[in-house]
Amino acid sequence: MTAAGLKINQIYEIERITTSPLMVRMMEMGVMPGKSISLLQKAPFKGPMAFLIEGNILALRIEEAELIQIKVA
Amino acid sequence: MEVTEKKAVKSIAIIGNPNVGKSSIFNQLTGLHQKIGNYPGMTVDKMLGYFNIGDKSFELIDLPGTYSLYPKSEDEIIAHKVLNGIGLEKPDAVMVVLDACNLERSLLLGTQVMDLGIPMAFVVNMKDLAEKRGLSIQTFALYQELGVPLVMTDARNNHGLEAVRDLLSNDDFAVGKTFCECGFAELLEEVRLKFGFETPYQAFQQLVFAEFDPMLDPEMKNWLEERSQIHDFDSQVQQARETNQRYEHIKSILLKTQSSGSGKPKKLHAALDGIFMHPVWGYVTFLAIMLLIFQAIFAWAEAPMDLIDGAFAALSGWVAETLPPGVLTDLLSEGIITGIGGVVIFIPQIALLFGFLAFLEDTGYFSRVVFLMDRLMRPFGLHGKSIVPLISGMACAIPGIMATRNISNTKERLITILVTPWMSCSARLPVYIILIGLTVPDEAWLGVNLQALALLVMYLIGTLFTLLGAFALKFVLKSKERSFLMTELPIYRMPRWQTVLLTMFNKSKIFVLEAGKVILAISIVLWVLASYGPSGEMEAIEAEQEAMLETVLEEQRYELNNEFASKKLEASYIGILGKAIEPAIRPLGYDWKIGIALLTSFAAREVFVATVATIYSVGGDVEDELTIREKLEKQVHPDTGEKVFTRATGFSLMVFYALAMQCMSTVAVVYRETKSWKWPVLQTIGMTIVAYLGALLTYQIWS
Repeated sequence: MTAAGLKINQIYEIERITTSPLMVRMMEMGVMPGKSISLLQKAPFKGPMAFLIEGNILALRIEEAELIQIKVA
Repeated sequence: MEVTEKKAVKSIAIIGNPNVGKSSIFNQLTGLHQKIGNYPGMTVDKMLGYFNIGDKSFELIDLPGTYSLYPKSEDEIIAHKVLNGIGLEKPDAVMVVLDACNLERSLLLGTQVMDLGIPMAFVVNMKDLAEKRGLSIQTFALYQELGVPLVMTDARNNHGLEAVRDLLSNDDFAVGKTFCECGFAELLEEVRLKFGFETPYQAFQQLVFAEFDPMLDPEMKNWLEERSQIHDFDSQVQQARETNQRYEHIKSILLKTQSSGSGKPKKLHAALDGIFMHPVWGYVTFLAIMLLIFQAIFAWAEAPMDLIDGAFAALSGWVAETLPPGVLTDLLSEGIITGIGGVVIFIPQIALLFGFLAFLEDTGYFSRVVFLMDRLMRPFGLHGKSIVPLISGMACAIPGIMATRNISNTKERLITILVTPWMSCSARLPVYIILIGLTVPDEAWLGVNLQALALLVMYLIGTLFTLLGAFALKFVLKSKERSFLMTELPIYRMPRWQTVLLTMFNKSKIFVLEAGKVILAISIVLWVLASYGPSGEMEAIEAEQEAMLETVLEEQRYELNNEFASKKLEASYIGILGKAIEPAIRPLGYDWKIGIALLTSFAAREVFVATVATIYSVGGDVEDELTIREKLEKQVHPDTGEKVFTRATGFSLMVFYALAMQCMSTVAVVYRETKSWKWPVLQTIGMTIVAYLGALLTYQIWS
C-alpha cells in the first residue's frame, strides 16, 4: 500500500520509496524508511495531502504520495 | 567603505534548511545593514549583511534555504558555487544553522558542508522548541563526534546570539572530519586535480552539478560527462546512496548524543490546522484574510500615495517656478521629477503587501494556503504558490510579480509572471470610473446599481483572462521539469516584527533601485516625445500663444492656455504618432486624440485620464472627475457631429485597458524577475494584441 491510500489518523510506517527523480528530494526532507507516517488532512477534489512524518508536517500531491510504500507499524 | 578596510572584512556564509530560523540570525546580526545584489546569470538575489564585533568587520552572505547540496533549483546551484568558490569568491567560513527539533534531517546538509573542507561551525537553533518537546542534546558529545564547534541558540527570542558573536570574533571555525566516503576514488581524484579542489567531496559535487550550472564552461561540462560515463558514475544513484550513508552515520551519532522526547507538535497546532486546512473552513478563512489584506492595501495605501503624488507635483511646480525657464528646467520638472514620482508612488502598496505576506509566511500560515489552493490552480498550469501573486495582482501587479520568487518550477513561475498583469489592478480604477461614468447610466436594475455592476464585470474580465491566459500558456511553453508539490508545513509561530519590517524595507528598495531605472528612462523618453515636435511648429504655436495672451482679458487666459496645451500636444511627436496610428485604432472606435492618450498612458494606465484632460483641453484640476466627465460628454467628432464617447467607444476602451499591458513599471519588474528582455517584450506584444482584438470585438458588438 502507498501513502496515498492512508485514512485520517491511521499510523503506518514507511517501508520504502519508489525509485524516481523525486526519491532523493523526499529523503532529504526526512521521508525515510522506518519513519512513522499518518495522514492529517486532505484538500478537496483530490488535492494535496498533509502527512505527519515523525513530528514534521509535509504536504504532497497524490502522485508524490503514491511513491511512498507503507506498512502497518 | 575604503579599500584598505575591505581587506580586513571577514566573509562568512550562512546556510540551513528552510524554516530553521536562518534569516532570524541573519537579521539579528546585521540589522538594517543589508545589501541586495545579484549572482551573475541567476535570478535569486544575493543577500549580504555587514556588522562589526569589537574592531572586527564581518560580511555575512545569506545563502538560500535548502535541504541538501543536490542540484534542484538555482538555490542549490548558488550554495554549491559559493561554498566551492566556483566563479564567485569563496567565503572565509560557513555557519550551518541546524534545527534542534530535526537534527537528523538538518545534519544531512550539515555533514555535506563538512565534507567540502571549508572552515565551519554549527548553530543549533530553536533550542526552546526542542526543550518544550523534551528533546535534550548533549552538545559536547555532539561536538566531539563531529569535530566542529557548536553553538545553541533561540534566535527568535534573541537567546544565544552572544555565543554566535563570540564564535565569530574568536574565529573559532574549524574544518570538519571527512564524514562520508563517496567511493569512485580514481574519478574524484581526476576531477579534484582538474578543478584544483581540496577535498574529494568537492569533486563529487562538481560532477553532480555539472549539467545544471549554466555558467560552467561547455568544454568542462563535456569533460565531466565523459569521465562520468567512463567510470559509470550515475549521479542520481550516487546521490541516493550518499544520502542513505549519511543518514545511517547521523543516526548512530544521534543515538549517542540526543535523548528523544515526543518530538510531536502540540495539540494547539493540530487544532489550528483543523480550521486553516479544513475543506470548508480553510477556504472561508483564507478568503476572509485575503479580503482583509486587500481592503487594507486599498485603504491604507491611499493616503500615503496621495501624499507622494501631491509632494512630487508641488516639487515639480516649485522647480518650474524657481529655476530659470529653459529646456533643462522643463526636463527636470516635467520629465525627471514626474518620472521619479511615478516610481515612488508604488512604494506604499509594495511595502504593505509584502508586510502582510511576510507576516503570513512568518506565522507558518502561508504554506497552508499553498496546500489549499494547489488543486484549483493546477488545471491552469499554475502551482499552489501562484495564488499569492495573482491575488496581489488585484492591488498591483508589481509586488505580485516580485512574489513569484518562491515558485520553484520555472514554467509555473513564468506563467504566473506572464498572466498576473491581467488581474485588475488599482491603477485601472480611475480609467474605469471615468469611462463607466460616461457610458453607463447611474440607475438600478433589479436593485443593483448598473455602474457598480459594470465595475464588477471589469474585474471578472480580468480574472477570466488571467486564467484563460495561463491555460493557453500551459500548452505553449515547453518544460522538461516535472511539477510537484512537496512543502513542509511549519508549526505556527508568532511573527517576528523585525523580519516583517525588514521585508517591507528590502522589497521597496529593490523596486526603487532596479525597476526605477527603467521607469525613469521611459518617462523621460515619453516626456521628450510629448514636449517636442518637428522644428518650427512648436515655436509657431508658442509665438501665437504669446501673441494671443497679450490681447485677451486676464480671466480668459486660463482657458486660452488650456487650448494651447492641447494644440502643442497635437503638434508634438507623440501627437504625430497618435495621428499616425489613427487608421489602426479607428475600428476600435477611437479618434487620434484617444490614440495619443493610449500612447502616453503606456507609462501607467492612470495617465490616460490626465492626457485625455489635456488633449480635450479640459485643463484645471485633473482630480476633479466631474469636470472631466462633463466636458468629455460634450465632445463630438468634428466631421460627423457624433459623440466621441459613445457606449461602444467607452466599453471598447475599458476592455482595452483591462487587457493591455499599459504599465512600464510592470515591464521593468518582469525584466528584473526573468533577467531577460525576451519575456517582457513578448508579454507586452501579446497583451496588446489580445487587448486590440478584445476592444475590436467589443466595439463591433455595441456599435
